[in-house]
Amino acid sequence: MALASSISAVVPTRILDRSEVAHDVILLGIEAPDLVKKVRPGHFAMALLPGRQAAGVALGIYEAHGSRCSLLFFLAGDRTRRLGALRVGERLDIVAPLGNGFDCEGAQRDIAIVAGGVGIASVLLPAQRLLARGARVRLFYGARTAERLVEAERFAAEGCELLLATDDGSRGYHGLVTDLLAREEAPERILACGPTPMLRAVSAYAQERKIPAQLSLEEAFGCGVGGCWGCVVPIVRTSAQAPSFPPSEADGSDVVHARVCAEGPVFWAHELRW
Amino acid sequence: MVDSAKLDLSARIGSLVLPYPTVGLSGCYGSGAEFAPYVDLARLGAVVLKSVTRRPRMGNPTPRIVHTPAGMLNAIGLQNPGIDWYLQHDVAKFAQTPCATIGSVAGFSVDDYAYVCERLAARNEIAAIELNISCPNVAHEGETFACDPDLTARVVRAARDTTDKPLIAKLSPNVSDIATIARSAVAAGADALAVVNTVRGMAIDIVQRKPRLGNVTGGLSGPAIRPIAVLAVYEVARAVAVPIVGQGGIETASDALEFILAGASAVGIGTANFADPRAPITILDGIIEYMVQRNVRSLRELVGAANTGFANINQVEGDEG
Repeated sequence: MALASSISAVVPTRILDRSEVAHDVILLGIEAPDLVKKVRPGHFAMALLPGRQAAGVALGIYEAHGSRCSLLFFLAGDRTRRLGALRVGERLDIVAPLGNGFDCEGAQRDIAIVAGGVGIASVLLPAQRLLARGARVRLFYGARTAERLVEAERFAAEGCELLLATDDGSRGYHGLVTDLLAREEAPERILACGPTPMLRAVSAYAQERKIPAQLSLEEAFGCGVGGCWGCVVPIVRTSAQAPSFPPSEADGSDVVHARVCAEGPVFWAHELRW
Repeated sequence: MVDSAKLDLSARIGSLVLPYPTVGLSGCYGSGAEFAPYVDLARLGAVVLKSVTRRPRMGNPTPRIVHTPAGMLNAIGLQNPGIDWYLQHDVAKFAQTPCATIGSVAGFSVDDYAYVCERLAARNEIAAIELNISCPNVAHEGETFACDPDLTARVVRAARDTTDKPLIAKLSPNVSDIATIARSAVAAGADALAVVNTVRGMAIDIVQRKPRLGNVTGGLSGPAIRPIAVLAVYEVARAVAVPIVGQGGIETASDALEFILAGASAVGIGTANFADPRAPITILDGIIEYMVQRNVRSLRELVGAANTGFANINQVEGDEG
């Protein structure tokens, strides 16, 4: 799998459209024709914020079509609020595409995509790719409340079967999306993106049933391009994502710290040692 | 008006002459290659590589990064493959870097520093050695060296005995009198000083009621620490007559010029690369613009120009030359 960093660049874009799809959830459309050609499912971008900020913001690339990409994000802190304050016509520079992305080319035809919260931003492109290949795609999607289940209808319109869960029971299953996953017919393959506790539960479920599962991890980034080793995760040294990693300090241990931004953000569940 | 193409932007670090004063900093800049898609590395003075130790290190648990207002806490914990693997697999690649590559050595004993320094400095790909005696993120030991003038001297002297290549000692801001440490490092043979490493700090998650960093404490970088770093450069430049690589929260050319006017011959760019990987180039271009507008032909005219007690390194170099 080629590293996206070899094709990534600082991309100057312009805001084409901006909508608040739910309270404090922003969808920004950006003009980036060259980027559309390079983006693969699961890639992410580092948005370079206007004004003085100590770091960019890592965001999943939500849509990529024609000359437009989009970024979907929650207003969670000062940096995302600055990003959310951008208006149509303003400039936004991003570093993209980054990361390895999901492998959507497997032979399996019954796929479960598991998304939690803002993780939804990274799974539209893989859903579209899998549907185009003729797969059955079930979207297991969990959020705190019904209002926070943003863009669910978009996934349905694309052809996904929706299985929704909310923490407060205001829509769909009342409880964790991973509990909902366990109650349904097992898929042949899983793609997941969301908070770490959700990914751990998906990982446990998948390994128990020997279902191949790819997890797109969340971790606090420094540079986002592999230069600072701030965003690591323990993986098996012989993993596909760590073909030439040095041994770890613990004698006899086969576990190494891989960079989520560079070797990931997508890892096979069975290769993680977290 | 001076012609921008004829400006002398060079900075000297011992026998090493950097064509530009801007340096990508250790731990922030990978091996340089990670940033090659975004900047022309040939327009950097040098890249300081990530620190390497005698043995491989897994580094600290995550989270290793916490964003703070106007800054960033990190606690990576010197994750690195160890000097054996590094020499065998990584160093040869640095020959392709289109600017000077400065090796960074970290350790837990005086002997560690000497051992790793000797092996690393022996390689042609490495133009100079930075002694990272000030990492705040490795269980008590890492920063001890830069907080004690005697230990600083012992590390520098032991490293000095292993190589003739330029040696840079990276100092900590977490000391009561940085000038004393600086004098000690220079007396022991340091050719230059990197001023400063990160400021110790921490952040607490009030919902979970626990520290945000996996390592509990970390090092603060970014614009939040810039005035602290400018003062440190100012004080060190009055105490010793060796080149200083000023660093700590530099984001723009005006930030870089503050360090230069305080007494830095070169400037390091670390965290700013995370906000915009083009930062080293926009900073260099801004320095050039400043010089052209003010008819300054050589950057050396600016070094220490705001520091009345500056221990004039240009004069010292002239005497030696």
